[in-house]
Amino acid sequence: MKLSSVKYLVGEGFKNTWTNRLMTIASVGVLVACMVIIGLAVMISENVNMAMGNLEKQNVVMAYMEDYSWALYGDGANQKKGDSTEKADKNGIRPSDYTIHNEAEAKALCDQIAKIDNVASVTFVSSKEGLESATKSMLESQKEYFTFLEEKDQNPLPCAAKIAMADMELFDETIKKIEQLEGIDSIQSNSGLAQTLAAIKNGITVAGIWIIAILMIISLVIVSNTIRVTMYTRKLEIGIMKAVGATDTFVRLPFVVEGMVIGIISALISEGLLYCCYRIATETIIKTFGGVIAFSEMAWVLLLLFMGIGILSGVIGSVIIISKYLRKEGSEFAAI
Amino acid sequence: MEQTQQGFQVSAVKPIIEFRGVSKTYQTGTHALEDVNIKINSGEFVFVVGSSGAGKSTFMKLIMREEKANTGKIVVNGFDLTKMKRKSVPMLRRTMGIVFQDFRLIPNMNVFDNVAFAMHVVGADSRNIRREVSKALSLVGLGHKARSMPNQLSGGEQQRVGLARALVNSPDLIIADEPTGNVDPNMSYEIVSLLTEINKRGTTVLMVTHDHNLVRDFHHRVIMLDGGKIVADNAGGDL
Repeated sequence: MKLSSVKYLVGEGFKNTWTNRLMTIASVGVLVACMVIIGLAVMISENVNMAMGNLEKQNVVMAYMEDYSWALYGDGANQKKGDSTEKADKNGIRPSDYTIHNEAEAKALCDQIAKIDNVASVTFVSSKEGLESATKSMLESQKEYFTFLEEKDQNPLPCAAKIAMADMELFDETIKKIEQLEGIDSIQSNSGLAQTLAAIKNGITVAGIWIIAILMIISLVIVSNTIRVTMYTRKLEIGIMKAVGATDTFVRLPFVVEGMVIGIISALISEGLLYCCYRIATETIIKTFGGVIAFSEMAWVLLLLFMGIGILSGVIGSVIIISKYLRKEGSEFAAI
Repeated sequence: MEQTQQGFQVSAVKPIIEFRGVSKTYQTGTHALEDVNIKINSGEFVFVVGSSGAGKSTFMKLIMREEKANTGKIVVNGFDLTKMKRKSVPMLRRTMGIVFQDFRLIPNMNVFDNVAFAMHVVGADSRNIRREVSKALSLVGLGHKARSMPNQLSGGEQQRVGLARALVNSPDLIIADEPTGNVDPNMSYEIVSLLTEINKRGTTVLMVTHDHNLVRDFHHRVIMLDGGKIVADNAGGDL
């Protein structure tokens, strides 16, 4: 197609948008409503995901080690597993019954944990740190007892690894892998909370996708209907175009431009409206719950999304409608 | 005409429209045309006459490739319409100008734009459009009404705008579907005179009409259709 034709047709598309301004306004109105809902769904989903992420970070797993803890601080400090000279303690327990005998071994186990997929971070917690942390919430009398034990190098707490996970959906799987490591005695975790968080995240993502998909289809139908109405009001013109040898592309282009213009106008209005809605909503939310994602962080993504929805629904809608028309009725220009 | 070695006179001009054993039956079962064989040479003026249901519409639709024949072969302007793909149809139509009974002018465009519209479709540039549209409007005697809107014109004037639109791309063939059907008798003569004038310049004209007076008064070839068959054709002689 020649450049002069393209210029003419694009101009015709803009002219049609203005000529059919009532239909344009109606379509823009409904499209804006759809886009704002899509935008809100995206923003809510992003904010909930962020909040879930924060909760996940706090939902740490404690892996306690098979730690011959007394050996770390007591008489057996220099004993190693399998040492033939090892002696049983007063309870008959030998150091070889344990895998971890000192901090170096405990830290090495932490390194092994860190290598497991989905483990975001591992922090080594020595038995001393563990005891300090545990005694913080204790009554003074209880604290005294544990302090006494520590002073006697009889800290009963084993070394531990504080583990954070990247994806809560793989929680159970990751826990199993950690449990299989030699030297892990027990794992303290909140599997229920992890599953709930994963389910909420999933639910929100799925709901978001459905909302966007449904509203995109609605947008497509709306633009298609506008184009259909425009097309029937321009039936005469299309007939003449076909009679004088217009190609299907030539007939289609002004409608495509009209659809795109409707889409772009709707996208810009939606972005502005969403900004206002989000600002009002977040002012209340910040006061109540604290941090939310700033609109500016999402502004370009949303604008691109809206433009994409608007332009795609305009182009696809008009192409479908016009092609259908040209195939079925468009050639009957002569009516003789 | 030229003389062959055997002494026969044969036409030197090629047929612009040729039907060979063409039949058309619609899906409804209506037999619109049956075994039609006809040649229309370049530069001819042909009236197509016949009562309603005679097959005139189908005949014209087949020429414009709005319909496809069930059997036979149709060649128009060098295009074999029986083999033609849908995407090539615009190329065929650019070689012909169509004049409609009901004028079919776009009401919100002035006379100039209505004619220019046909040139935009074929991708002409604006300078060429200005020149050719003015020429076409002068030819139909409406150069002074270029800025008028269709509703400010009489029926005859509107039909002349339609004629200018059909002419503006310099087609080889003009197909006029009862162009005098919506104008008064005086204007009818003017329209056919104009078409005759265009024909004299070398454009082939195929005109469907019910007006026997026009057929009688303008001495052109007449093809008469009845029941989907050509019942009379005065090619080279009186009907």
